[in-house]
Amino acid sequence: MSNNTIVENLKREIENFSVQIKVEKIGKVLEVFDGIAKVSGLSDIKSSEMVIFPNGETGVALNLEEDAVGIIILGDFSKIKEGDEVKATGKILEIPVSDDILGRVVNAIGAPIDGKGAIKSSKTYPIEKVAPGVITRLSVDKPVATGIKVIDAIIPVGRGQRELIIGDRQTGKTALAIDAILNQKGENMICVYVSIGQKDSKLRKIEARLEDGGAMDYTVIVKASASEAASLSYIAPYTGVSIAEYFMDQGKDVLIIYDDLSKHAVAYREISLLLRRPPGREAYPGDVFYLHSRLLERACRRNEKYGGGSITAFPIIETQAGDISAYIPTNVISITDGQIFLETDLFYKGIRPAVNVGSSVSRVGSSAQIKAMKKVAGTLKLDLAQFRELEAFSQFGSDLDDATKRQLERGKRAVEVLKQLQYAPVRTEHQVVTLYALTHGFMDDIAIEKIKEFEQGLTEYSEHNAKIFYKQILDKKMWDDKGEEELKKVIEDFKSNFTR
Amino acid sequence: MTVILNKNIAHAIYLASKDKNHEEQSLVFKKVAQFLIKKRLLSKTKEILSFLNKIINEHEGRVVVKVSSVEKINEKIHREITQALAHRYKAKEIKIVENLDKKLLGGLKIEVNDEVIDLTIKNKIGKLQEHLTKSL
Repeated sequence: MSNNTIVENLKREIENFSVQIKVEKIGKVLEVFDGIAKVSGLSDIKSSEMVIFPNGETGVALNLEEDAVGIIILGDFSKIKEGDEVKATGKILEIPVSDDILGRVVNAIGAPIDGKGAIKSSKTYPIEKVAPGVITRLSVDKPVATGIKVIDAIIPVGRGQRELIIGDRQTGKTALAIDAILNQKGENMICVYVSIGQKDSKLRKIEARLEDGGAMDYTVIVKASASEAASLSYIAPYTGVSIAEYFMDQGKDVLIIYDDLSKHAVAYREISLLLRRPPGREAYPGDVFYLHSRLLERACRRNEKYGGGSITAFPIIETQAGDISAYIPTNVISITDGQIFLETDLFYKGIRPAVNVGSSVSRVGSSAQIKAMKKVAGTLKLDLAQFRELEAFSQFGSDLDDATKRQLERGKRAVEVLKQLQYAPVRTEHQVVTLYALTHGFMDDIAIEKIKEFEQGLTEYSEHNAKIFYKQILDKKMWDDKGEEELKKVIEDFKSNFTR
Repeated sequence: MTVILNKNIAHAIYLASKDKNHEEQSLVFKKVAQFLIKKRLLSKTKEILSFLNKIINEHEGRVVVKVSSVEKINEKIHREITQALAHRYKAKEIKIVENLDKKLLGGLKIEVNDEVIDLTIKNKIGKLQEHLTKSL
């Protein structure tokens, strides 16, 4: 842009500008501490209304008391002093949204922080919204392909579902979520990753990983890091879901990850205690359940009449020493439609992803699976459960009958097949082929240490040689007799080559 | 123990001293002072008095207005403001407190309780700045 056009633009803007002076409500800061301001005046203020401080910082009114208002300051509170004038805006806190936000990193109030310039937006969305009602919803029956075998086969997740990822620190919770984002390439899904109270270094790593995988084209990262005020951690997930709603309103499917809600609850506890709200169990305030339920309730699948689209939520909860009966984990477990439970023991045994198949469930379940997957994975969960039981039992003696031995061998191979490297999502068709080979006994005589190699070879070989089968899976989501015959032959051919 | 708010004390003082003659009033004030000493609330006197002031104003239909400007406002504007505000707040009496502030650059800023009508040049420039940075 040349200087002249800039001047012209400025001139035009100034000429067209007109001020509308209205009566404004103001208040005076009585005290400021730890990101909280007590303000007098502001008589007609609404709950969670946005206010403006003289240095341009925004705040949100949370506590409406008889003679003062408790406000959380979103941003730097070091320059706010006693006696400062606070202006009410009459608006509930809202964030700017637009399609340009894709591929960007924004903070908890929707402002870009990745140094790639401003995000142009003409629309704003309030961060608090009532979740869609019963009439507008549709039951969950379309799968989210996470690309993680153990999830897609045993704990399937559907579009519009809320599936909790729970586990101790360092068990691969975030890795699971990132893998799910990476696998959405070409799946027509928008992803929102909300980082709450995480280290900046960790987020940087995640961002680089997503960029390498080409996932940033359809992903938005909302960041409220550990160094920022608790108030920002508190509103970040609501900002994330508002961005998700913006895309859902266009009829798109959205996947949102809250990493993690335990830190969110801690941030809210901090704010509540500073606002002198009465503490309850574990010093969390009484409305900590509502805090998460109103957030997760906004995940939904909407029917076509109301615009379609869906929001699938993956909240993450970090447990302490595997204790899933603590306050926040039990709350979130009861809100969500199932949980993926990750265990330290499994992780160190080398079973990664360290999913405990016994305690993980998906309450929406197999209605969110394609028919072919349902067929091959149907007995897998039971097989694995029986295997676990037999495994413990078989350690005491070596005299086992043939059927038990067979079951043990099958179980070991199932565990091996479900292992998967990080950042290596597997396509649904490949999963079907592998699980078909497993459940139909084609792998029973392959040595366990060769299973991975066999699996990889088989998927490559079958893709080129079982074209009918693959086509049927892609088009009809199920095979017929012809496809099955072809696949069986291909597996046998490959196996005879492999064992030779 | 319930906390006694400054506002409640002020209200009590108002009710106790309302419609009393001079002698009775001085007796009330003496008792109030004793009460404040007993409850160790003497340090809050200033706040209580400001609340009392507000309560008296409210009951007598008096509205205190703070008008800020760069120069002293003239008689005509003074009258107009009084009329307009008396109509707006349905007040019997308008008490104008003037405040001179060079930083406003021009225009008037009228403050009544927690409401502000900001007609100053400074505010308008601020709004223009906001508009330009947003649209360009």
